[in-house]
Amino acid sequence: MTVVLAVCVAVTFGVSIYMMLGRELMGLAIGVFLIGHAANLSILAMSGSPVIQHDKAYQTAEFKIPPVLESDQQAKDWSEAQLIKAEHPEQDVVNPLDEMVDPLPQALILTAIVIGFAVMGFLLTLIVLTQRRAKTLDVNELAKMDLPTPSQAH
Amino acid sequence: MSGSINNFIILFCVIPLAAGLLSVPLVGRSFPSRVIGTLSFASTFLLAVYLLIQGYADNTIYVSYMGSWTAPFGISVVFDNLSGLLLATASAVALGSYIHSYSTNASHIERGYFHPLIQLLMFGVNLSFLTGDIFNLFVSFEIMLMASYALLTIGASKKQMSQAYKYVMLNLLASTIFVIAAGMAYGMLGTLNMADMALIVKTKLASGEGLPVGFTALAVMFLLVFALKGAFFPLWFWLPDTYYTCPISIAGLFGGMLTKVGVYAVVRTFPLIFTQSVADIASVDVNPTRTTILWIIAVAAAFTMFLGVLGAVSQHEVRRILSIHVISQVGYMVFGLAIMTGWALAGCIFYMIQHMVVKCSLFLCCGIMEKHAGSDDLDKLGGLLKRDTLLGVLFFVAAMSLVGLPPLSGFFGKMVIIQEGWNNGLWWLSIIGLATGALTLLSMLKIWSYGYWNPEPKKYPQAAKPENVKSSSRSGYIGIAMLVVLALFLGFGANPVYKFADRAGEQLVSPDAYIMAVLPKERIKLVNPELAAKLYDGIGHDRMSEPLDEEPMIISASYNKEVHP
Repeated sequence: MTVVLAVCVAVTFGVSIYMMLGRELMGLAIGVFLIGHAANLSILAMSGSPVIQHDKAYQTAEFKIPPVLESDQQAKDWSEAQLIKAEHPEQDVVNPLDEMVDPLPQALILTAIVIGFAVMGFLLTLIVLTQRRAKTLDVNELAKMDLPTPSQAH
Repeated sequence: MSGSINNFIILFCVIPLAAGLLSVPLVGRSFPSRVIGTLSFASTFLLAVYLLIQGYADNTIYVSYMGSWTAPFGISVVFDNLSGLLLATASAVALGSYIHSYSTNASHIERGYFHPLIQLLMFGVNLSFLTGDIFNLFVSFEIMLMASYALLTIGASKKQMSQAYKYVMLNLLASTIFVIAAGMAYGMLGTLNMADMALIVKTKLASGEGLPVGFTALAVMFLLVFALKGAFFPLWFWLPDTYYTCPISIAGLFGGMLTKVGVYAVVRTFPLIFTQSVADIASVDVNPTRTTILWIIAVAAAFTMFLGVLGAVSQHEVRRILSIHVISQVGYMVFGLAIMTGWALAGCIFYMIQHMVVKCSLFLCCGIMEKHAGSDDLDKLGGLLKRDTLLGVLFFVAAMSLVGLPPLSGFFGKMVIIQEGWNNGLWWLSIIGLATGALTLLSMLKIWSYGYWNPEPKKYPQAAKPENVKSSSRSGYIGIAMLVVLALFLGFGANPVYKFADRAGEQLVSPDAYIMAVLPKERIKLVNPELAAKLYDGIGHDRMSEPLDEEPMIISASYNKEVHP
């Protein structure tokens, strides 16, 4: 799964960087949108493997514990499971966290998507207005526009 | 007692947000929106000053947990000395340029949602000064940037539209990198709360386990993002082209404040997390990431200072001189960061606040100069000292504060930073800093001699009689005068201000106080029992005297409610 994600991220990054290297504002905008998607996908990979070594959470320096459990009861079950496991390492205890994927990165992605959507709307409006005012969307021509004239005084 | 104060700090976000929303329906009527806006900035300023003094006296860091979810799971809002100083200054700068805007803003700009946008900008800025969570920092950056995109293109003139895309695109790209870096930080450390990250890094260093693979790369990614917002050396190219296009009061606010938010983010996160000092951990010689990052920052500082000031000397229009000067001044702050001792950070913070005030007042002076001459080209200016003596005095004080002549504010910032650099083996940066100071004087004298001392050119536009300009921009003078008085206070009252800045610097270099204020005791015990024992040793009252619970942490709502009923 992580490999598939990695390939997706790499391809999306590649395409978006190619688009951003163009000299046309519309293509630049598409590149920026795509790179946002690539970023979101790469965060998704952070939650990829379910929960790391939670059984050692309070013994070693490994800290990644997902911050959410479903209910109060489940939280108690989990802590009891930890205690049983610590006392009898040979016993097979069902642990809810073995099946869960860390949900926090998905929450981060959701926030980033919403923000990205708003920014996308703004950027498209900006491009429409730029086309109306400057009559061009070519970056080279825009760059030449309105640069201050060098002074003749010296 | 401090429990009741703790929840006041969210007012820094609520007040501008409420004022912004209130002024949306009032958009066509400038008087009520101005009253609301002025009250909002004035109240956040007074609140920041009050909390700063109170917090200094009590020696506390105020923390508020959103929705009573304790750190590191909920979002915590933290008000320490650094946040307090910057919040107070940002509100003062916003107030000054807002009052100035009464007389300089065209009516189509006021109707273009200027008032709500400037409030939302301040909402984003205040939130980024307060937040204790990296992802929340990203969100507040986005709030601030959206408002700044809209303010940058307000009025939508051809000149603005042809330059705006640079700022927007680059910041979008930086935001994307920020998201990736935040995700990676979560993958590496399992948390996004700054105090928790600091604690985990400290524990990893102390336990001899070492930092996770790629930690330096992560730090560089964050540095890249913040450097782009703060206009550090290789990433400053967007700044001069954008700041000179928008209306002058907005340009003043941007020039004074926006880059400082980027610098603030570095000042907040790097000493705390990425370049954490290991001086108090006996088992570790040096944090390897710290060495690398400090070198990168030192080189960036040298180029930022020197190339920025060279750019400013080469320009011939007031707005562009001032814009490029922002970069050079950011260089001094980066220099303070590159030393990263407590006293150097205090200098850096002092320089940040004085620069916000001084740079904004210079931009605002430029606005009135433009009213006189109809242009900011130095060739078309002249004779302003005779035409408008008050403006001349205000400009002179602000310019000399920027240069850093001794009794004025810039001197104290530069002196501390350069001295600390000299004492800490960065003598070459100190020499560059001194040379930059001389060139700054040169470029300010250029504006002074062309604009104020040169004989008046024959072709001043007839409409701009001196009396007309003066009578039509009274609020402009008030705005500038307020900021200049504040700059003078920072100069002559540098001693008390440095007390706050010094405390802020101490809090930054030894993050124990920050960690202890933000995180609950149970979390510190869970992650680093030795540190918890050390921190809470001898304090032994209320929460600390509870027996160490052997049960593992239950990480859910019930747990949080127990800790914070």
